[in-house]
Amino acid sequence: MNTQDVDTADWLDAALEEAGREHRAAYVADDGFTARVVSRLPAAPTLPAWRRPVIVLLWLLAGAGAFVALPGAFDDAFRSSVALLVGRPLGLTDIALLLALFGGAAWTSLVYAARAD
Amino acid sequence: MSSTPVSDAQLIARAVVHDDRHAFGELVRRHQSAVRSTLRRLTGGNIAQADDLAQETFLLAYRNLKSFRQEAKFSTWLYRIAYNVFLADARKIKDLPLPDDAEGEPVADATAPSLSRQAALSVDLERAMLVLSEPERAAIVQCYHNDLSHEEAAQVLGCPVGTVKTHILRAKQKLKARLSAWSPQA
Repeated sequence: MNTQDVDTADWLDAALEEAGREHRAAYVADDGFTARVVSRLPAAPTLPAWRRPVIVLLWLLAGAGAFVALPGAFDDAFRSSVALLVGRPLGLTDIALLLALFGGAAWTSLVYAARAD
Repeated sequence: MSSTPVSDAQLIARAVVHDDRHAFGELVRRHQSAVRSTLRRLTGGNIAQADDLAQETFLLAYRNLKSFRQEAKFSTWLYRIAYNVFLADARKIKDLPLPDDAEGEPVADATAPSLSRQAALSVDLERAMLVLSEPERAAIVQCYHNDLSHEEAAQVLGCPVGTVKTHILRAKQKLKARLSAWSPQA
């Protein structure tokens, strides 16, 4: 590289660096650009609104179907497990109280899930 | 009450994990100027085309945000997407038309006062950039305008560091010939 090349390179480098400084200093105003991009973002995949009640209904139907098909099995399993836990046979009042508790818990869960949605 | 500015990494995490569009919008707002002005340089000052490509760049970035590994700066990753979008578009158009005055005489006036001399040089340099090939212009834009190192520019342009250096060398030779009137020896 001769002296002339060096001089020219320095001069050109300085010009390019100055252009670079101008480029970085020049802010391009948004002017709605961000809003246009965000409006064109692909929609997030969402579950259809009817899916949750249909699933709950199907579970209820399945439970009712099993209860009808096996009338004694649920009662026996329930009474045995509670008797194991509390150490004594169950009366009607105990069953009613437990059902009320389970029902309350189920409704609370449903309401919480609905609010979270 | 002062609030700590949220980093790009935090915004990316929100956008990826919670599909937070506001977080992605903030990323767009932060980087739109750099991406749009880079594309304006690459397209030879075609503002409408550059903005279309910038929109496409951010939409692609959104779709591929999960693949961003944070090994490079987010801006470098965006520049790479922008350059790929530009190349894909350029392949469609093939030849970028030069403005009518691109082949005209330089407006250089070496005897003019310093400030106007600098402005005139700036205009001439802008015109001269249009005679560079796409890779040469891209290398100059990344290294001088976006102030990237040769290594970062190589990442953005998807080529070896040596190729970036070659593009810059050739670009400077072309610019030197084009802007010979501005040479101190002229």
